[in-house]
Amino acid sequence: MSFPQYDASPLKVLDAQAKATLAIFAKKKYQRVEPSILQPAYVFLDRSGEEIRRRTFVLNDSNGTELCLRPDLTIPVCRVFLENGAKAPARYAYHGPAFRMQPNDPSRPVQFLQTGVECLGELNEARTDMEVLALAAEGVRASGLSKFSVQLGDVGIIFALIDALDIPLLWRARLKRHFWRPDYFKELLMRLSGQGPKASRSYLGRLTQNETSDARAAAEGLLDHLGVTADKPIPGGRTREEIIERVLEQAKEEEAPHLDKRQTALIEKVLSVRGNARRAVGTIRKILSSDEVDVGDTLAATAERIERLEKLGLDSKQIYFAARFGRNMEYYTGFVFELWARDRRRQIQIAGGGRYDSLLRTLGATKDIPAVGCAIWAERVLAARNASGAVK
Amino acid sequence: MNALILGLPSKGRLQKQVTQFLADNGLKLKKTSARGYRATIENLSGIEVKLLSAADIASALGEGEIHLGVTGEDLLRETVAKFDTKIALLQPLGFGHANVVVAVPKAWIDVSSMADLDDVCTTFHLRHHKRLRVATKYKSLTRHYFAAHGLADYRIVESLGATEGAPASGTAEVIVDITSTGATLTANELKVLDEGIILKSQAQLSASLNARWSVDALKAAEKLSSRITMRGKARAAQILRTALER
Repeated sequence: MSFPQYDASPLKVLDAQAKATLAIFAKKKYQRVEPSILQPAYVFLDRSGEEIRRRTFVLNDSNGTELCLRPDLTIPVCRVFLENGAKAPARYAYHGPAFRMQPNDPSRPVQFLQTGVECLGELNEARTDMEVLALAAEGVRASGLSKFSVQLGDVGIIFALIDALDIPLLWRARLKRHFWRPDYFKELLMRLSGQGPKASRSYLGRLTQNETSDARAAAEGLLDHLGVTADKPIPGGRTREEIIERVLEQAKEEEAPHLDKRQTALIEKVLSVRGNARRAVGTIRKILSSDEVDVGDTLAATAERIERLEKLGLDSKQIYFAARFGRNMEYYTGFVFELWARDRRRQIQIAGGGRYDSLLRTLGATKDIPAVGCAIWAERVLAARNASGAVK
Repeated sequence: MNALILGLPSKGRLQKQVTQFLADNGLKLKKTSARGYRATIENLSGIEVKLLSAADIASALGEGEIHLGVTGEDLLRETVAKFDTKIALLQPLGFGHANVVVAVPKAWIDVSSMADLDDVCTTFHLRHHKRLRVATKYKSLTRHYFAAHGLADYRIVESLGATEGAPASGTAEVIVDITSTGATLTANELKVLDEGIILKSQAQLSASLNARWSVDALKAAEKLSSRITMRGKARAAQILRTALER
């Protein structure tokens, strides 16, 4: 396990980086907040998948209550917003340590400094996306690193494509959930287009040959036969009605039209696009126009983001776009980005961010609140500066 | 440390099976410490036997504290991170058979595959505003297997005993547990999913690649493996040499 321990000299540089970056954020009216390092564990563990959970440090107080060390600052900052009853829109800046276990790479530190912003409740999404992207780039520059590349993505493009497909809702949801797992996604597409191994047929399919009118009766009969009666609780948290409903959905799915090969080919073609951002957007536009699919304004938004970055003086050759790129953190819902630079050995990610419109609701807000934010990894920026000889 | 250190189970059914297995191969343990946690093998010199719990044998192999050990493959794969780089399975021993399986309530007539379970994870989360819970002591095996099937929307609840009762007692919806006949699952109104066998496990003679292998230790390992490898074929010794050369 790797523990960062700083003496005076790196501390001086890190403090100066933080001060310069926070000054940039303050100029754009982002208010400094300092959420608690120790957080109630359930907030993170119920919201993040098992992948984040296994990297979160969890501890118990003497009553057995589960606490955790914050694995990032986005959720803690959102909690400040909700618990203080702040008015939207709210703009917050932060700087402080976060903690993650590194089961796959013990050489990575378990504690690291993040400097970032969260913009909550601003309705003009396109503008705030760009505001936050620009702040990330300017923040990194202010901390003394001028050479980095930008990787852009937008989950919205693929989601719009999937929404345009004439397939059952459940299938669409399944495709969206798995679009960033290339192998599994491909297998799903094959299955939905009836080419791959057949999805397991539901009991009902076997029982009724899809006479939907009889489906409910058949499902109930089967449950009765298994001794699962309406008056007896079922082990495992799901109700009898919940199970029957899904059986009926499965029956409908089996009758539903399958994807045709043209549609799966289109999705795969778009997903494979990556490279220089300007060229990539052009390629996707061409693919989609020839197939008359409308993905709303997500492509235009990406083009605007590229322009904005160029205006900030970034080399257009250093701006990349990948249709498949979406950060594998479940709360991102649309636009995502990462900033990359070289340390002494390899390319490292120095900042990342994106839009997460449904997170606040899951934390207790009464409705979806548009939100976008970014975090800069301070020590990694320093490592990249050291490699480029920027720090004396 | 020149002697070969061999970890053997100190208690339970596995201990009895190992003792029987050694006896079948003409080998007998001789306890050397008063409290019975150390032994040697009669007629085989250069081997120091440590009697440990099955779980401790797995972690001692991972850490390189013992050279060879006999324990369940399930424990090895669960306990030792980056298993493949640290441990070589030399010889399946033909006892201690058990499967690590994914089981759901038998009332879930809509769930028979891992893809079904994936859907249910998501709808459960939306409907009940919490994640579907999986009770298990096999946290690492579960994570890997679920990830390989694209499942992310669930939560592991650690269970250190009577896991099969978790759905009935309301502490989890699904379990990942070990089963040899399936009778306990049936008694608890659970069923194994179609693709639900994570691992077919049995007792394995295994070598630690992290241990310090002296020439003497290697020779002792070869001698031992030639005694217990079926019909005297030194297959296990071959595997060990190849693994150590990597």
